[in-house]
Amino acid sequence: MIPSQMLKGTLEGCILKVISYQETYGYEISQALQEYGFQDISEGTIYPLLLRLEKNGLVTTQYRASSLGPKRKYFQISSEGEIALTSFFANWKELENAVNQLFQNGGQKHE
Amino acid sequence: MNKRTHELNRINNDLDKLLDPENEPAMTDIVCYLRGASISLYNQEIIRQDLLEMGLSAQERGENIQTVIGTDYKTFCDEIIASFPPKSNKEKVIDFFDTVFLSLSIFCAINIIMANETLVLIHNLIVGEPLNFNISITSGLIVSLLIALVAAFAIVNFIMKNSFTIGNLFHNNRPTVLLVLGSFPVFLIIAWFGRNTVFTVNIFIALLFSLGLYLAHCVLSRL
Repeated sequence: MIPSQMLKGTLEGCILKVISYQETYGYEISQALQEYGFQDISEGTIYPLLLRLEKNGLVTTQYRASSLGPKRKYFQISSEGEIALTSFFANWKELENAVNQLFQNGGQKHE
Repeated sequence: MNKRTHELNRINNDLDKLLDPENEPAMTDIVCYLRGASISLYNQEIIRQDLLEMGLSAQERGENIQTVIGTDYKTFCDEIIASFPPKSNKEKVIDFFDTVFLSLSIFCAINIIMANETLVLIHNLIVGEPLNFNISITSGLIVSLLIALVAAFAIVNFIMKNSFTIGNLFHNNRPTVLLVLGSFPVFLIIAWFGRNTVFTVNIFIALLFSLGLYLAHCVLSRL
């Protein structure tokens, strides 16, 4: 399981990526993340993050009637969200590269 | 409460009834905590709507609310609250006076109905004796009113801020219960020593005053 502290900075970007594929809602996002290997990510875990994405204008929302009665909130990526997603992935690649460099080639520098 | 908030509140209250008994306490505690948050009533209802959708969908899948939001309700709520704009100073002032006006109007109405002079007036009206429409306002009544208002604000605020632990507090903390019970003799002492009349007022003017406060509350709550 990925520690929550490690997830903190990346989960928002990953949620945004899931939303970028298609308009979706909380539970569906949590299920998609679990399928990609993010274990124990419940709808409740991502709800505050979705609110933050909405507050920052990275997603747009729309309430639609569901079969159960309460209206379900659907999320769609905004143009600002697309830009943020590109930036997130560039940052992630940079971090991934740095960590890989350290773990794979780091030993050689200290020899 | 303005029209759109009132409508959402009504819908949410109906949805609330669909929750299973095992999910109800968690939702009640969460809503209670949200009521104490410095975010608008409309946003509180928006959050409530989202949480009800999550809870009811979980029920449909055969899960409970803890599976969806975990067991640390406070952290969960604090993260949600942080995502909404806080109430402005203007909204806080309106909320404060709204509550004060409503509390005062209820307090005035109760005291008018319960006043000795009111009972005498009804009696005299029935038996046909001369009528005195004045009621006395004593210093004890004024002090009691102020204490009741401050205590009500403090107690409600305390309950909302501690909604997730308040049950344990009242089960395990005997001094808290004693403090609540101990406040009754204080009011009796105030009533005994504060019997002197500060002023008298016509019962119809007092009723109009109470009604005016209630109307002021109605106006403020719709802003």
